[in-house]
Amino acid sequence: MRKPLSAFAVHAILGLYTLLALFPIVLVVMNSFKAKRAIFNTPLRPPTPSNFDPIGYARVFDDSALPFYYLNSITVTAGAIFFTLLFGAMAAWALTEYKFRFNTLLALFLSIGIMVPIRLGSVAIIQLVAELNLINTLTALILVYTAQNLPLAIFILSEFIAQIPKDLREAARCDGLTEYNIFFHIILPLIRPAMATVAVFTMIPVWNDLWFPLLLAPAGGKQTITLGVQQFLGQYITDWNAVLAALSAAIVPVLLLYVIFSRQLIRGLTSGAVK
Amino acid sequence: MPQGAYLRLLLFFLGPAVLVYSLFSIYPLLATIINSLYSRQNDGAYLWEGLGNFRTLLLDPTWSVPFWNALRNNFIFFLIHMCVQNPIGLLLAALLSLPRLRFRATYRTLIFMPTMLSVVVIGFVWQLILSPLWGIARMFLNFFGLGFLFAPWLGVESSALITVSLISVWQFVGIPMILIYTALLAIPDELIDAATVDGLNQFQAFVWVKLPLIWPTIGLVSILTFVNNFNAFDLIYAMKGALAGPNFSTDIMGTLFYRTFFGNQLQLGNPSMGSAIATMMLIVILTGVMVYLFLVQRRIQRYSF
Amino acid sequence: MAEVVIEKLSKSFGSVEVLKDIDLTVGDGAFVVLVGPSGCGKSTLLRSIAGLEDVSGGAITIGGRKVNDLAPAQREIAMVFQSYALYPHMDVAANMGFGLKFAGIPKAEIAARVSEAARILQLEPLLKRRPRELSGGQRQRVAIGRAIVRKPQVFLFDEPLSNLDAALRINTRVEIAKLHKLLAATIVYVTHDQVEAMTLADKIVVMNQGRIEQQGKPLDLYYRPANLFVAGFIGSPAMNFLKGEVVAGGTGLGADGRIAIALPPGATPGMKVTLGIRPEHMSIAVGGGDLHLAATVELVERLGETGFAHLRLASGTVVIAEIRGETGLKTGDRTHVALDPAHLHLFGADGRRLG
Ligand SMILES: Nc1ncnc2c1ncn2[C@@H]1O[C@H](COP(=O)(O)OP(=O)(O)OP(=O)(O)O)[C@@H](O)[C@H]1O
Ligand SMILES: [Mg+2]
Repeated sequence: MRKPLSAFAVHAILGLYTLLALFPIVLVVMNSFKAKRAIFNTPLRPPTPSNFDPIGYARVFDDSALPFYYLNSITVTAGAIFFTLLFGAMAAWALTEYKFRFNTLLALFLSIGIMVPIRLGSVAIIQLVAELNLINTLTALILVYTAQNLPLAIFILSEFIAQIPKDLREAARCDGLTEYNIFFHIILPLIRPAMATVAVFTMIPVWNDLWFPLLLAPAGGKQTITLGVQQFLGQYITDWNAVLAALSAAIVPVLLLYVIFSRQLIRGLTSGAVK
Repeated sequence: MPQGAYLRLLLFFLGPAVLVYSLFSIYPLLATIINSLYSRQNDGAYLWEGLGNFRTLLLDPTWSVPFWNALRNNFIFFLIHMCVQNPIGLLLAALLSLPRLRFRATYRTLIFMPTMLSVVVIGFVWQLILSPLWGIARMFLNFFGLGFLFAPWLGVESSALITVSLISVWQFVGIPMILIYTALLAIPDELIDAATVDGLNQFQAFVWVKLPLIWPTIGLVSILTFVNNFNAFDLIYAMKGALAGPNFSTDIMGTLFYRTFFGNQLQLGNPSMGSAIATMMLIVILTGVMVYLFLVQRRIQRYSF
Repeated sequence: MAEVVIEKLSKSFGSVEVLKDIDLTVGDGAFVVLVGPSGCGKSTLLRSIAGLEDVSGGAITIGGRKVNDLAPAQREIAMVFQSYALYPHMDVAANMGFGLKFAGIPKAEIAARVSEAARILQLEPLLKRRPRELSGGQRQRVAIGRAIVRKPQVFLFDEPLSNLDAALRINTRVEIAKLHKLLAATIVYVTHDQVEAMTLADKIVVMNQGRIEQQGKPLDLYYRPANLFVAGFIGSPAMNFLKGEVVAGGTGLGADGRIAIALPPGATPGMKVTLGIRPEHMSIAVGGGDLHLAATVELVERLGETGFAHLRLASGTVVIAEIRGETGLKTGDRTHVALDPAHLHLFGADGRRLG
């Protein structure tokens, strides 16, 4: 069989692009362990015992509340995922299962947020959060992110719930389960794969977001790691060791998690892709 | 089921989602639009302006020059994504979906990596790499004998926007790649076998069989790119600050909105004008979405296999 | 049309050898059907002929031309896929003419060939439809039409009828048989369906684990299966097997006693053998006899005039015998089953047919 693209060319292109994707990350992480002189003189060499210097990390973890910021990010992300999944699944169930009067209209209303970014309402969100006395709280972030992610969650979960055979719900009803029990004991377990997909869609943008932390919780120790790193970098901009260490501290945990879960994650992304 | 119980049921299941969503998404959007119709006086009172804020924004040179500049930059930002990010994403997806490719999962995982990281981090990483102080970029160009091409691209007005756009492309290429890759995988192998028997080579089969079948996905990728680009902020804020320098050459709608609303060294915060800008962004994005929904998407046929 | 000759063909996926030493000749205008259990390599063999798989060894010749290194399009073959593989974004006419367009054939010629094929297959009213606007049977005909317009030397079919319902399957089977006559085409056809194989084939090839177990005319395979595998595979319900050993003047069947049959040359007393007999060659008998075995009825299945009785023999082996008309048999009855001496098959310990 003739092959117009040789396997070699394919691997060459993919390999080069992979290098391009990895190079900046590797470079930063590598140099974060080196002494200042080595960073500048031999930036492309990996750290060796002779030029090893963790001073950057010392500065990052001494001078800043970075560990707390991690905790903040984890809280916000977990909270947003939890409420998005719970509220989203409940609404998706009601919208697909019960044919009430304003069903279609409500579904349409809920889908506005898929295309219209909630950021555009930031002015009013700040005023609202201020009125609710939630400025510089993680609660505000969790609520906003939940609102931001609900529309897509409802959309994806509805499609999944609609695929669950009608017989199953009817059988449960015949067994005398209440509607609440059908949802919590039959539907929720069945849509777990879809929920994993939604969790992925929710997690990445929430963890990485700079905008709402900057607007809603920019101080008071309630910064997320993304904002915290941004502020830290702004402060230490000339201290290369500290900058590289702070960047690495933001990169490495995420990438470790990513590499561990990449299979599930990509599967989630690909299964959730709207065809 | 009795009426009351049924209502309670609906309230229980729909209530939380509708409440949170209305309060933190729909209400703020509406309030922003309404805000844009008022102006705030020095004593804190609000005054009805009608479309006055928009007139100021579009016609008064103090406002209109930055506005048109940001809008133009934003379109350039979007076009660079469309012309660079999405074709590269398509190419990578096409290669990744080749049958019997070894290391497929490894490539996919590694190429997607930058997409996982926060824009802030990516912005800084590239700032360091392109910095003349560190000299990595210069070192590379020297290696290829192209050292004379080096310039502090991020600091030069003519190249800053393109550079920032390309960095964003570098980070987000994983998204079109994954979406298109998934669509390509959904095409049955037998269809490609049939094309092979029909005498098409791999490239022709891609152009004549696969590509027509993934147009819907490419359309989706395009509109996602559009919405995300007109909503962008983080990267430029992280790399160039709210002033989007040098000399506003990297200013896009997101940064203009932020600066206007919060104020900065040069001006006081102005919530009404900020709202007007947000409303304009909303209009731009909705126009894009409408064009997509009514002009593009309708023409694209969807196929099930 | 042309002859296909396959010599010493082998194919591996990585370290797994899925085709081993295949020798097969498909005569000019012959209809050859490949059968075998799932995963035995039928599709792989067909795809190797088509050129969709590179082979690991051996030679494939089509019409006297060695095609190993030719691209599928240059082999002058056409293939009909199980899922039909119609291009969803093209209408019926475009689907049929697509390959010709890439072969650089002039538009007028393409149109002529497409309408000719459409006429043969009664697709004329459907030419402007998209595949999803067609029924399963119509899609199937388009897939065949796409093959016909290429005017190939050889048609390759991979389970083309398996997605159709039973009635349509019978219809289309007849259509394919007619088409074979009409076009005088050389056809290689993969199927799981015994009836399709028996009715369509000039030659059936039984495959198992990447090897050809036996090839021959359908009735030869039925009446003289070369080994236990073919004996068990061809025929439905499957042939019954009784384990035993050769004794003087017959075969000892342990608890089932001994039956007297003419022994083929080479069968020496003490040899372990398997006795095979098809359900249709067994009948319910009254009383004992030379070729009668005592049995208990386990289950009776009636299909109408005919049916099957599942019988447990004294040794515990369960055999299936065909029954006709009202027998009055019911579960638990004790009875006898008679074996037709003309249709007994004897296999040696290595599974090969004796005699
Ligand atoms: N691309 C491949 N890579 C590795 N192994 C394969 C590949 N294609 C087929 N095989 C293996 O080769 C063997 C034969 O497959 P083939 O598809 O030819 O079977 P088949 O006889 O057509 O089965 P079926 O009746 O189920 O269609 C199987 O064991 C299968 O797992
Ligand atoms: Mg097969």
